[in-house]
Amino acid sequence: MPPAVLAALVDLHRPAHVVHWHFFQMSVANVVVIVLMLLVFVLAIVLPFPGARRPS
Amino acid sequence: MSADRMWTTRVRERAVGALPPEKLLPDRQPAYVASWIYVFGVLTLAALVVILASGVVLGLKGPAWWHLTGIGRFFNGIHLWAVELFFFCMVIHLWGKFWMAAWRGGRARTWVSGAVTFLVGVGAAFTGYLSQQNFDSQWISTQAKDGLNSVGIGAFFNVTNFGQMYTFHVLLLPTVVLGLVVWHILLVRRHGVVPPFTRAALAASNAEEES
Repeated sequence: MPPAVLAALVDLHRPAHVVHWHFFQMSVANVVVIVLMLLVFVLAIVLPFPGARRPS
Repeated sequence: MSADRMWTTRVRERAVGALPPEKLLPDRQPAYVASWIYVFGVLTLAALVVILASGVVLGLKGPAWWHLTGIGRFFNGIHLWAVELFFFCMVIHLWGKFWMAAWRGGRARTWVSGAVTFLVGVGAAFTGYLSQQNFDSQWISTQAKDGLNSVGIGAFFNVTNFGQMYTFHVLLLPTVVLGLVVWHILLVRRHGVVPPFTRAALAASNAEEES
C-alpha cells in the first residue's frame, strides 16, 4: 500500500462526477482544469512580473 | 567545383543569413517580454522535455514495468502529469497569443506552426491513451474506432491495433511534434517575440476601420 500522503485526493475507483446542464455535459475533472486555466490566464496578465517596469 | 557552387555553401549562407548567431541565441529580449503571459511558451517546452525523457524510460522498460512496479507506475505518472502540464501551459500560451494577434508583423507561419503543433499534440496524447495496455485503453480504442469510422477516416489507420498505435505514439507523432516545435522556435527567433498592442496602433486601426 502506498503511503497516505501519496494517495489521490479523491476516490478514483468509481465513475466520475459529471456536470450536466442542458446540452452541456463534462466531467468535473475537466471543468476544474478549464477553470484553473482561465484563472491562471487572468493572473498571468494582471500579476506584475518581478523586475518589470510599468510603461510611463 | 568552386566553393560558392557547392550546395553546402549555399545552405550555410542561407541559414546564417536567415538566422545569424546573435538572432539564434540572443542575449537580450525586448522590455515587453517581462510579463507572466510570455512565460507559458517556455513552460510548455519544459513540459515537453519531461514528456520525452519519461517516455524514453517507459519505452525502454515496457508495459509490465509501468503497470506492475512502483517505480514504473511513478514514471507512468510523471509522463501523464507532464502531458497535463504541457497542454495546460500550451492552451494558456495559445490564448495569450490569440488575444495579442501574434500573427502580426510577418509572424503568420509562427502562429500556424504553433496551432498545428497543438493539433498534432492532441493526436500524440490520444495514441498515448491507446498505448497504456489496460482496460482503459481497450475502452477508448473501441469508442475512438466507432467515432473515426462514423466520420469516414477509419480505413486509414486502426486505433484498435496496438502495434500501429504504439508506433504512432512513440515514433511518428513525437517526431512531427518535435520537428514543428523546432521550426516554431526558429521562427520566433527569426521574427522576434510579438509586441503587445500599443494605444497608438489600436487608435490608428480603429480610425482606418471607421473611414
